[in-house]
Amino acid sequence: MQSIIERIEKEIASWKPDAGSEEAGTVRAAGDGIAEIDGLTGAVMSEMIIFDPTFDRTLEAALKDPNPVFGLVLNLEEDGVRAVILGDSAKVYEGMLVRRVGRLLSIPVGESLVGRVVNPLGESVDGKGPTGETVLRPIEREAYGVIDRAPVNVPLHTGIKAVDSMIPIGRGQRELIIGDRGTGKTSIAVDTILAQKYEPKERRPICIYVAIGQKESKTAKIVAELAERGAMDYTIVVTAPASSPAALQFLAPFAGAAIGEFFMDRGDDALVVYDDLSKQAVAYRQMSLLLRRPPGREAYPGDIFYLHSRLLERAAKLSEAKGGGSLTALPIIETQENDVSAYIPTNVISITDGQIFLESDLFNKGQRPAINVGLSVSRVGSSAQTKAMKRISGKIKLSLAQFRELEAFMQFSSDLDADTKKQIDDGRRMTQVLTQGKGAPLPFQMEAAIIFAATNGYLDAFSPHEIPAIEKKLRDYLDREAGGILEAIKESKEIREETEASLREKLTQFVQRATNA
Amino acid sequence: MLDSYTHILESVAALDDEPQAEAVIERLIEHLASSGRVKLLPQIHAELRKIAARRKALAPMVEVASAEERPTALAEARAAGIDATEASVNHSLVKGWRARGRGRLIDKSAKAALIGIYQKVTN
Repeated sequence: MQSIIERIEKEIASWKPDAGSEEAGTVRAAGDGIAEIDGLTGAVMSEMIIFDPTFDRTLEAALKDPNPVFGLVLNLEEDGVRAVILGDSAKVYEGMLVRRVGRLLSIPVGESLVGRVVNPLGESVDGKGPTGETVLRPIEREAYGVIDRAPVNVPLHTGIKAVDSMIPIGRGQRELIIGDRGTGKTSIAVDTILAQKYEPKERRPICIYVAIGQKESKTAKIVAELAERGAMDYTIVVTAPASSPAALQFLAPFAGAAIGEFFMDRGDDALVVYDDLSKQAVAYRQMSLLLRRPPGREAYPGDIFYLHSRLLERAAKLSEAKGGGSLTALPIIETQENDVSAYIPTNVISITDGQIFLESDLFNKGQRPAINVGLSVSRVGSSAQTKAMKRISGKIKLSLAQFRELEAFMQFSSDLDADTKKQIDDGRRMTQVLTQGKGAPLPFQMEAAIIFAATNGYLDAFSPHEIPAIEKKLRDYLDREAGGILEAIKESKEIREETEASLREKLTQFVQRATNA
Repeated sequence: MLDSYTHILESVAALDDEPQAEAVIERLIEHLASSGRVKLLPQIHAELRKIAARRKALAPMVEVASAEERPTALAEARAAGIDATEASVNHSLVKGWRARGRGRLIDKSAKAALIGIYQKVTN
C-alpha cells in the first residue's frame, strides 16, 4: 500500500503542465443577457465563447459548480466584443474571464434526437436523460446554391383537403402559414406532421417542430398529442419557451434548420415548422437594441430581412448528385388585425414560395381550416402535385373564389336565377367538403376520392348542411368497400381509367344507398 | 466631444511627459472655461478614471502557487510575450503558475488541470 502511495506522490511531484497560450478576455459589463467584453479581438462573428466561473475561485469552490456559461459573439468592436449570454446571465459578473472556443456556435445533431424534446443548444429538456450519438453541426450555415438544387417535384401531403387540393406543398418548398392569433396556424402545422404517418416509412420526412416564445404548456400539449398519435417516432421538438432568454428564442429556428439539414444531407426528407417567426423577430429586436445596433422600422434592426431570408433559404430540394434530400419549411407568422402588409409579414411573404392565409372572420364563421382562398397561394407546389390531385382539383380554387363573390352579392339580392343559385349551392357544398376538423388529417388517396366525388356531382343530391355527415359516411364506405381502389390511387398517384370506372360505380352505389336511407 | 477630450488626454498620458501633460491640462481647462463647458470636466475625470481602472485590470499579471516558482513563471511568461514585473502568490492554483496579458492567457496551474479532469469525468 505504502509503495503505491509513494508512487502516486512521485507522479504528482513530477507533473509538468502542458497548457499553451489561449486568447482570453474580461467581462467589462453584463446585464439584460448581454455581456461587453474587453479583449477577444481575434474572435469571429457567431463564435461561441465560454464565461469561465472557475478562474477566480478556489479549487474547492470551483469544483462545486465548474460548468461554464456559454455566449455567442454578435458585435465585433475596436477593443472588444459584445456577446449574448446563452444561459443563466446572473452567473456572469464584471471582471469574469472569457475564453474563445474557436468554433462557430454548433449543436449536436443525429438520429438519436428523433422522439426527443431539446433546447436550441441541443440539450434534452424532456427528462429522458442525455441524447445518444450525435455529431456537432454549426447552427448558421450558408444555404445551398443553385447548382446543388433540384426543382421541387415531390409532393408533401398535409392531409388537409383544402391545402392539398388548392395550395399544394412540395418537398423542399417554403410555405408560410400566416394569420391572426387563434386562427388555427399551429393546427395546420401539427396536422401536417400527423399526416406524415400515412407516408411509407422510407419516404416519410423527419419532422422538426420548433416552438419559439410559446407557453410551455402549449408546447407540452403539442408534444403529448404527437406522442399519443405515434408521431413522435419521426419528430423532434426544439423549444425556446417565452421564459427563455431572447438569445435562445433567436437561435431556435437556426437550431431546427441545422437538425433538418443533417437529415437532408444524408439524402432523407425533413420538414421543419417554425412556430413562430414573429416571436423570433421580437427576440432579435430585443437583442439588437441591447447590443446598441441602430433601430429601423418598428424598431427592428436593419438586418431583420436577412435574418429570415438566410434561415428560409436553407430549405431546399437537393440534386441527385447531392443525395436528393430535401428540407421543407413551414414558417408561421402571426398578424395583427389580419394586416398582412405589416413589416415582418411582408418580409416573410416575399421570401417564401407561397402562403396559407388564415382569416379570423372565416374562423368565426366556423370554416376549418379558415383559409382565405383568394389570398393563399403556392408558387411552386403545383408542379409537385400528383396527377390525381391535379386532375380533380383543377377548378376548385376558381369556383370557390367565384362563390365568395356571389355570396357577398347575394346579401343585396334575394331573387336569384337558377344558374346562380346552383353555383352558390355548389360553392357551399364544396366549402363543407373542404371543412376538416383539427387533428384529423386524411391519407392522400382518401382526399382524392372525396374531392373526386364532390367535383363530379356525386354529392349534389345532398344539401350543404348534410355534407359533413355524408362525407363521414362516404369515408367509412370507401374504407370498407373500396380498399382496392384507394390502394390503386395511392400506388399510381393518379386516377387511371379503370380505377375511375370502379370509383364511379362505387360512388353511384353509395349515393343510392345514402339517398334511400 | 467628451470622447475627443478624453482621447487627447489619454494620448498625452501615454507620452509619459509630466510637464507637457500639465501644460495640456492647463490649456484644456482654460479652453473649457472660455467656451462655457466647464461642466464637462467631472465627466472627463470620470472617463479617465474608468480608462485607468480598465488598464490596471488588463495589465500583464503573473500568479504563482508558491513563491519558489516566481523566477521560472516570470521568465516563461516573458518568453511567451507577457512582460510582468512581479508575480503574486495565489495558493488556490495548487501548483504551477498562470499569466495574463495582451489579450492572452497561459494557465499552467494544477488547478486548471484538475478542473479539466473533473469536467471530463462528470460531463
